[in-house]
Amino acid sequence: MNCKICSKLLQEYLEDNISEDLMNELNNHLKECERCAIFFRTYSLTVTLSRQVETPCCVSPEKIQRLTLLLYERLFSK
Amino acid sequence: MKDNIEKLSVAALVSQIKHGDAEAMEEIVKRFSNKVYNLAFHLTRDASAAEEIMQEVFLTVISKIHTLTNEAYFATWLYRVTTNAAYGFLRKEKKFSDQTSVEDMNNESTVTYDWSTLPDDVLLSEESRTVLRDSIDTLPETMRTVVIMKDVEGLKNEDIAQALGLTVPAVKSRLHRGRTILREILSDYFRKYSDPSGEFI
Repeated sequence: MNCKICSKLLQEYLEDNISEDLMNELNNHLKECERCAIFFRTYSLTVTLSRQVETPCCVSPEKIQRLTLLLYERLFSK
Repeated sequence: MKDNIEKLSVAALVSQIKHGDAEAMEEIVKRFSNKVYNLAFHLTRDASAAEEIMQEVFLTVISKIHTLTNEAYFATWLYRVTTNAAYGFLRKEKKFSDQTSVEDMNNESTVTYDWSTLPDDVLLSEESRTVLRDSIDTLPETMRTVVIMKDVEGLKNEDIAQALGLTVPAVKSRLHRGRTILREILSDYFRKYSDPSGEFI
């Protein structure tokens, strides 16, 4: 395995989408190539951190109620 | 009756709405309003715009629900209408960005700095979250939407592809390029925590 293939497999690895054989090859490459290993770790961590980007708070029940009422009036009350 | 409706699949609810069932409509709003709002908020970074978009999206999809031939595609249709409405808002506000050039971000030194070993209080600090949030905002639009839908909102590649009218490989490619840019920005940011004698290879 070379660095180019390794970087292409990264995404599939994160999706849990690669076969056991390929996974072993990938792990062997990562043991030998520090550059790929660092890329791999920091890329994976970037994905993990993106998941932690604050999500806005939930829509309040009152707003959901208002929306439901609006939809009802405009589309269901005819 | 209420218990039953909560157990129904989205496709079944959509089918009931087509027959004029207001209770099914209410359940759909309950299940998807936060998702629509969050996606709109992440794309626009504007709470009142996200609220307006949410209202507009539900009015559109519920009024046109008869045109949806395959009920199973309701969610992806909803996301598509949401992203289109958010783009519409950004265009109107002239916030449609394409600031970051991928070529500009190809900095070799960031590949060799291993910031994954930094402690969690640094990685998860409010400041680093802000850096990441702002970096997502500056991604070229095509990548930003995919990164938000996949990595922030947790949608599946197939659903994103369907919602944006792209192929799955196109989604993956945009995602990979977007993540690579974000990784490089974070590498630059976390460099200030590095020990010049030991952290660089």
